[in-house]
Amino acid sequence: MQIIGPDLLVFGVDDVPACHDFLTAYGLEPQGYSPEKGGLYLALDGTGLEIRRRDDPSLPPALKTGSMLRLQVLGVVDQAALEAVAAELGRDRLVLHLADGSLRTQDDQGFELAFRVTTRTPLELEAEKINAPYHPGRPVNVVGVTQDMPAKPRTLSHIVLFTPDIDVAVGFYRDRLGFRITDTLTGAGPFLRPQANADHHTHFFIRTPEYMQGIEHLACHMGGPTELMLAGSRMMENGFESFWGPGRHKFGSNWFWYFKSPLGCNVEFDADMDTHDDDWAPREAPMGPEASQAFLMQWRKKWAPGGGPGPKG
Amino acid sequence: MVTGVPLTTLADLPDGDSRGFEVEGWRAKVIIVRKGARVFGWRDLCPHYAGGTSMAWRRDAYLNGARTHLACHAHGAWFDIETGVCVQGACLGKRLTRVPLRIDEEGGVHLDRAPREDKA
Repeated sequence: MQIIGPDLLVFGVDDVPACHDFLTAYGLEPQGYSPEKGGLYLALDGTGLEIRRRDDPSLPPALKTGSMLRLQVLGVVDQAALEAVAAELGRDRLVLHLADGSLRTQDDQGFELAFRVTTRTPLELEAEKINAPYHPGRPVNVVGVTQDMPAKPRTLSHIVLFTPDIDVAVGFYRDRLGFRITDTLTGAGPFLRPQANADHHTHFFIRTPEYMQGIEHLACHMGGPTELMLAGSRMMENGFESFWGPGRHKFGSNWFWYFKSPLGCNVEFDADMDTHDDDWAPREAPMGPEASQAFLMQWRKKWAPGGGPGPKG
Repeated sequence: MVTGVPLTTLADLPDGDSRGFEVEGWRAKVIIVRKGARVFGWRDLCPHYAGGTSMAWRRDAYLNGARTHLACHAHGAWFDIETGVCVQGACLGKRLTRVPLRIDEEGGVHLDRAPREDKA
């Protein structure tokens, strides 16, 4: 099943202008925004978020838990891949073929899903380059950081869901849609990647009581750790509040920095995630602080030691 | 911390709005929500995870979009402003830790008693 991953995540929110403020500060490009109706918020490759009012009649039904996530739109590589999804899921559920060519259905836990031939535009952008002894990554005279360098989310990376039944979630995404389990945090759940995406994960499930079902966080990939640190620092300087990070996860190796948001979930910057193929042997570790990160740091205001206090008087 | 010094005044708290205040010796802020002539004080610690985590998405932004509840913006839990009880989301049935407040004759809003030092 040639699925790439999330193209678009659709939310029904209570405070559209707050979400606009947050997502533009996060670095997504607003498109067609109005305070009454919401808008699209796009990463550099055209993947991203759609923000609507909670009572917008165009939205699929909300989960009973209050989660603001209303729809995941998953991108597939081509029309044949879309037809393969329709044929597989059409065996046991209603799959709507919409006028725009997309498919609409539900997973086995009531999360609304759409599938479409991906609309993402591949980027001609280099990864962040680092210099190491005997192995320079950047040409001479090229500096590694400037205060005003761009630090924009490049693409939607992954979504993490609170799910009441991990077996049902895995049964759907692995066994029906062909996702691969890359690693598992025992006590929480598995990381999954779809077959047409080498990223360590586009989905991660965390087992929770039913009243918590919904989105835990979403993340966009940055061009490297420096972009992640700059983007997160700019959020902090503008009064946005960190939830967790910056740090570096173990499973996936991605750098992370999570921010609380008016979307009812955390929104993460990530960078430098591992990639895998089917030769990878999944790992397992008990969920907890040790398995969750290689290291964790906390932001502080800029400071410099200088030469100490001058003479008094 | 001198209890004689108000954290804020009613004049500086718009009705129906929330603000967070640092208290010396406390690792988490005190959230104050004003409803008319009344104020409600809570520790800025969502009870979802052990030890608690802070709740605003932006400085002082503690209310949900409809401004009917205090909200933790990590996972969208909603808390009753007057009782602190979580009515929706990740910590259903748990409650926020109340911070007793006192309003003086000039409208100054004080901690009702001197805070004890936080251990964490």
